[in-house]
Amino acid sequence: MAACTRRTREMMGLLGILRNLPHNERFLSTSVMRHASDGPKFTPPTKPVFTDKAQEEASVRRVLSPEFIPPRQRTDQIKFYIERKDMIQRRKVFKIPEFYVGSILAVTMTDPHASGNLNRFVGICTQRSGKGLGATFILRNVIDGQGVEICYELYSPRMRKIEVLKLEKRLDDNLMYLRDALPEYSTFDFDMQPVHYELTKDAPVNPLKVKMKPKPWSKRWERPKFDIKGIRFDLYLTPEQMEHAQKWGQPWREYDMLKEYDTSSLEKKIFEEVEENLRK
Amino acid sequence: MRLTLRALISHGRVARKMGLGPESRINLLRNLLTGLVRHERIETGKARADEVRFYAEKLIDYAKKGDTDEKAMKLADFWLTEKDLIPKLFKVLAVRFENQTGGYTNMARLPNRENLDRAAMAVLEYKGNPFPPLYPVKRVSELNLVNQLLKGYREEKAQMATEKKDS
Repeated sequence: MAACTRRTREMMGLLGILRNLPHNERFLSTSVMRHASDGPKFTPPTKPVFTDKAQEEASVRRVLSPEFIPPRQRTDQIKFYIERKDMIQRRKVFKIPEFYVGSILAVTMTDPHASGNLNRFVGICTQRSGKGLGATFILRNVIDGQGVEICYELYSPRMRKIEVLKLEKRLDDNLMYLRDALPEYSTFDFDMQPVHYELTKDAPVNPLKVKMKPKPWSKRWERPKFDIKGIRFDLYLTPEQMEHAQKWGQPWREYDMLKEYDTSSLEKKIFEEVEENLRK
Repeated sequence: MRLTLRALISHGRVARKMGLGPESRINLLRNLLTGLVRHERIETGKARADEVRFYAEKLIDYAKKGDTDEKAMKLADFWLTEKDLIPKLFKVLAVRFENQTGGYTNMARLPNRENLDRAAMAVLEYKGNPFPPLYPVKRVSELNLVNQLLKGYREEKAQMATEKKDS
């Protein structure tokens, strides 16, 4: 008796829910209720949005990664050609996103000693060096007050995932001075969410000028050979000290044609070659 | 204590050490280059001529971009200490080498200097200069007896070959 009443009460509850369900033709069981209550008007479902994948891909800006450009050497070009083939083959299997020095990346790597065999690290890219398959990048972060820099190889088979959490460029190509900067400029949360960026536009340049720890620094960053634009020197150095640092500047260097390495034509050729092979 | 091998091993170094240091080297080459642009043929030490050769050709490459190009003008202003040579570079030398891609200079060795140092000398010139050529052009005169006899021999041979073909 009691079970009977409970079941009927449940059924009444269900019927009430069914009556209040959205009147959709898909719900055949509730369409019975339709003609009963003709209140809200029939709203058709939202049309699916068709995005032209080809056009999307075409509008996405493609940039050549710097490790493809061979250095100025006397080696035979065939070595670079074979290396490029291997790099393209790896890139077909493992996606390496476009990033610059100053972007924040999250790298997942296989590690036999970590739980789950995977090891994730988040950090700001301070430098990118090496050409060809040995190309590396260094990620810096401050963990529990201790600055940590890890050098990863882009084409290493241990790499599982490289995500760009924030794509941006900085005023310099080499952010080694972050070692002498205040730790707040190098700390990044491990659970940081990826920041959306426009795929079609150039990467934004962050004109941040960093505040440093008191001198002495690990290197004399004010000297012209480092050519650093991203430090607030005016807070730590007097104009006399800045002028004194300019003594190490070599003003003839910019006119020295021997030191120039014009890669524009080479870059174009390599870019076309890489694009063609990636599409295959 | 020597911490780096970089200073000692010179693999791949393309710039020779000259004068008192890098600045001195550039100044030396600048003077040589100015002299070369003014006179179009200069005599110096072999090593200096070889160094200046690269800079001379690169300067012409930049001059070809035209005097409206900012970088070309800055470089010309730096490398030519005598400023009346800048129009000569852009209007005479760049125009002369319009149709060539490289090889604007010739270098030839000279007998060693008469001084105590017996330094190896070389002469460096821009091609198309108004002076007589460095290597005299050998002209073979047809009016020698031997050349006339050889000419006759060649004609007879050609005649016999045509007769053989006809028959």
